[in-house]
Amino acid sequence: MVDIKRVSPVSFGKSPKRTEVRDNWTIAMEYDSEGQGLSIVDLSHVTRLDVQTGDLSGVTPFGVAIPEVPGQSVLKDGILINRMNGIQASVFQLPGNGADLPTDVFVTETTENTLCVAIMGKDVFSFMEKVSNLDFMDPKMTAPFLFQGPCCHVPCQIITLSKDGDKAGLILTCSRGYGKDMIHSLLDAGVEFNMKPAGEEKFSAWVASL
Amino acid sequence: MMTRFNQLPTLKIDPTKKVIFNYKGKTYSGVEGDTIASALYANGVRIYARSLKYHRPRGLYSLDGECSNTMMEVDGIPNVRTENTLLKQGMTVKEQNVKGSAEKDMLGFLDKLDWAMPAGFYYKMMHKPARIWPIAMKQIRKTAGLGEISPDFEMPGKFDEIFPRTDVVVIGGGPAGMTAALAAAEKGLRVIIMESRPWLGGFFDYRTAEYKDGVALYQRGQDLAQQVEANENIRVLKHTAMVGAYSNCLVTGFQTGTDKDAFNERYVEIRANSVIVATGCIERPLIFDNNERPGVMQVGCALRMARNYGILPGENGIFSVGHDLGLEAAIDLFDMGMKIGCVADVREDGQDPELVLALAKRNILLLKGWVATEAHGKKQVNKVSMSSIDGMITRDFDCDVLVASAGLTPVTGPLTMAQIKLRHDDFTGFFVADEMPENTFSAGRILGINNALSIECSGTLAGIKAAKACGACDAAEVEAAEAAMKALPGPVRGSKLVTAPVKGRKSFICFDEDTTIKSVKQTIDSGFDVPELVKRYSSAGLGPGQSGIPGHNLPLYVAKYQALAGVPVKPTTVRAPIVPTFIATYAGTNHTMHKRTPIHNLQVADKGILRKIGVWERVRYFSEDYSCKKEIENVRNNVGMLDGSTLGKFRLHGPDALKALQRIYVSDMSKLKPGRVKYSAMCNDDGCVIDDGVVVMLGENDYYITTSTGRAGQTVEWFRYHTRYDGWDFSMVNITDSMGVINLSGPNARKVFEKITDEDVSNEAFPYSGFKEMLFKDVIPAKVMRLGFVGELSYEFHVASSYMTSLWQLLKEAGAEFGIQNFGVEAQNVLRMEKCHIILGQESEQRTNLLDVGLGFLWDRKKADAKTVGAVALRQAENDPSRFKLVGFKMENNGRAPRDGALVVDSKVRGYIATARDSFSLNEAVGMALVESELAKVGTRLEIYEDECGDERIYGKVVPMPFYDPDGTRMKS
Repeated sequence: MVDIKRVSPVSFGKSPKRTEVRDNWTIAMEYDSEGQGLSIVDLSHVTRLDVQTGDLSGVTPFGVAIPEVPGQSVLKDGILINRMNGIQASVFQLPGNGADLPTDVFVTETTENTLCVAIMGKDVFSFMEKVSNLDFMDPKMTAPFLFQGPCCHVPCQIITLSKDGDKAGLILTCSRGYGKDMIHSLLDAGVEFNMKPAGEEKFSAWVASL
Repeated sequence: MMTRFNQLPTLKIDPTKKVIFNYKGKTYSGVEGDTIASALYANGVRIYARSLKYHRPRGLYSLDGECSNTMMEVDGIPNVRTENTLLKQGMTVKEQNVKGSAEKDMLGFLDKLDWAMPAGFYYKMMHKPARIWPIAMKQIRKTAGLGEISPDFEMPGKFDEIFPRTDVVVIGGGPAGMTAALAAAEKGLRVIIMESRPWLGGFFDYRTAEYKDGVALYQRGQDLAQQVEANENIRVLKHTAMVGAYSNCLVTGFQTGTDKDAFNERYVEIRANSVIVATGCIERPLIFDNNERPGVMQVGCALRMARNYGILPGENGIFSVGHDLGLEAAIDLFDMGMKIGCVADVREDGQDPELVLALAKRNILLLKGWVATEAHGKKQVNKVSMSSIDGMITRDFDCDVLVASAGLTPVTGPLTMAQIKLRHDDFTGFFVADEMPENTFSAGRILGINNALSIECSGTLAGIKAAKACGACDAAEVEAAEAAMKALPGPVRGSKLVTAPVKGRKSFICFDEDTTIKSVKQTIDSGFDVPELVKRYSSAGLGPGQSGIPGHNLPLYVAKYQALAGVPVKPTTVRAPIVPTFIATYAGTNHTMHKRTPIHNLQVADKGILRKIGVWERVRYFSEDYSCKKEIENVRNNVGMLDGSTLGKFRLHGPDALKALQRIYVSDMSKLKPGRVKYSAMCNDDGCVIDDGVVVMLGENDYYITTSTGRAGQTVEWFRYHTRYDGWDFSMVNITDSMGVINLSGPNARKVFEKITDEDVSNEAFPYSGFKEMLFKDVIPAKVMRLGFVGELSYEFHVASSYMTSLWQLLKEAGAEFGIQNFGVEAQNVLRMEKCHIILGQESEQRTNLLDVGLGFLWDRKKADAKTVGAVALRQAENDPSRFKLVGFKMENNGRAPRDGALVVDSKVRGYIATARDSFSLNEAVGMALVESELAKVGTRLEIYEDECGDERIYGKVVPMPFYDPDGTRMKS
């Protein structure tokens, strides 16, 4: 008898201390010794949408307006919206927001398309410097903001939610198929920053603190 | 071990902390802060290695690794620059390029055979008779090359990489670099400063001469360093050598880690908005006979050995110099205890009077207009011959150290790498840049200035210019800085002497390659008369020092030897890495980045054998039998499962989605009906077929598209590009990774399918080319297509990637009673080949059009040509008899299949084999080939040429396609 379940593309090689099953996903809520260094959280189960239409003005997924300028993001009530280009935005329904998904024809669910992790901690940008040549500390960029560019030589969407000291952190997505190699590379680069897997609770607490 | 100074304020060592290391099997000790070279010197070692060609003894020379003299094998790693590498506990150090030892090298006799090895001798000797060359070449290769490494040597250590972004990057952490960094940082800019030594300070760092108001230069250097390191806007990368600089403000380098760092070395790639080159000067080597004999060293080397490492380089020193720094060093070293027999200065006049007076006060003989002509001593200098620069008068002096330097020369590597044109300036004797690339500035001694305040001011000016380039200050501030610069002393006259008055048989212009002045003369006399050619023919500057030693002397000497007047003299090209770098450092962490399907692990567990296919890692075989006999027979006779998740998958939606489909696909896509799959192809404007796949309708103006694996990454761009002028309202989302695909194929496929669904999947309810959306186990949403790529009853299940594991297990469980088995990409390749279903890229290449491969039936000729990409070209190609045709063939006499890519020939090449295999279904070898149309007729004999087949040929015969189940009964029933 096959146990029907959904499998995340992310594996940290470590069993979580506490999990929760949601929509057939087994979600890590907490890990032992999550530590004070960098944290990496698997968010691949988080609902993500592609909103794409010739005219995005007036489009308000989950009631939140899409930023006007490509590269800008907005985080409101657990909804993160990132303007990708003139006709496209990515939308994240972060944990805790249980609103129904929009049914508009111009919305495509892309949850399965990418792996998604959050990386938080004061050294996050020193860490990112090892895996990406994007300029996260550009003073002109005010969080939250979206970069579409390489991380570990793979095209990614990276949303910086905070550049602020201990609260610094970001969300990274890339094609799901890269899951094994991407996580291996990130964990390897994170060793010097004491990067540890953390659970969704730590992520939610971080988002709440922003 | 020598007694070392341990109280100097300029020391970079901690004499209280011993570091034990092993040299040639014996235990030695250095101190913390020592380089390997300084520790060896302190232990009395003078000969570090032997030279490349003549096996001459070599020792300390620049202390900055400008040549290969002190490259050694350290912890098994050859060619380690021991002057730049800090000593660590337990290191094992060995000499290299020696037969015996560096002291007694059995190949040392080669030095006497220099007459037999003139410049370029390997180009013109030992070639006749021709059979000698292979033997000679082996011997030359045995003796040539520096260092040895085993092919399976594994580089120890951790090699990393960083890609910082910044506003301003400053190359060089000397006084000009530091003031530049401070000036830019003061404007609120982010600054990175790179310094190749493990500390900041540059040429202030080891000098006790006065800076201003009683403050010594080294004190000023330390003060600036403290300011820089305390500035939050400045990031200091010490022990970071620049290896590349490019005109788009990209600067690369490598950083050597300390014990506290998480890396041994790391590659650094800095993208900045502005670059400041403050690399300062090196000393231009003085060329005279035996100018590289151990004991001969540059001014900075001798002084830094004493000031930074506490080691007096010798007891009896002789100086032959061409600049005031040489005089200053002689005075300082005298005060530290070295006897100075003489200071010869190639300049007749122009010396700093205060320095001349200081020499006189110490009774040091100063010979103006004199130069060293020969260093004596078999393995180490013990005497030097001097002469007036016209060679008229000579004198000999005993010594154990000869400090020699022709003059200063700017470090122009970053400038030449950034394609900046350099001009030789007769006054300074420097190569200078008249024009810099946008947002690139230079500062410090590279400009020919020597006054400490001028150097600092030039740094401040460059920092402000960089700030202006970044929009952080205005023109008035630049003007003020320029005015301050003008008020200070400018460039100083430099020494122009290149060689002492010698014949040059043993006067080395390049130490790395053992290139002498005589070699250069031979090269020019052979007709290679410009520096770039001289460099290649004589090898001068081709060694690991990357022209550090010969860089500026070579063009100057070439001009001098030919008495060139009015001809621009410029240094030869340098290329990255400008400083020798471990390949391991360039490799960095070297993680492979491949995509894997959602059921990758399950297939590996089932003994799948992986191959890399584009960005994906896929299972090609499920056994060591690469003919895949069992896999193929199982699909033909039973049921198999294939992971097809790598297929490109897209959602296309919006009011104009159909228009976009009509533009891109050759078929009439308006005929697409709900519940049906439409197979079609895309062409480029030349009618060449670039992709194929299926399209299904999900709803009104809503489509699901598949493409080949290889084209998935370009498909969205392709649609957008070919509709760019139309303003159509459609959207396209690449959901390749969202959906996994399992192909269930074989006569028992329906039976397995029926076990996991309650839907009617009979042939009537779900016929060939049908499409259904359904739920498995009430949970897993799936798009199911009835296809037949492998020529059997087949279903393709497209489900969310996260559910792929569950679906795979469901099918495996359902198929257990039938003996369901996996099949991989190679089995699929054979199965579809038997059916003559093509794979683009396998049965086609860039020039192959839709008609060539027999897919013309897909093209709807009634669509307006202008609305279909490639249609115009297809119409023109339709009646072109010169095009290739795809044909099927069988091998004669039940012969084996030819290799893919083999050529179809007669007296010339007439085509090639696309795919051919020994078919288990047909019990004979079959294949498809692209051949000239006149060979396409059924029954034509094909002569096939394979690589390395000599005069042997194999033969096939054109037969009708497909080979297997020509009526399609099996896949449609």
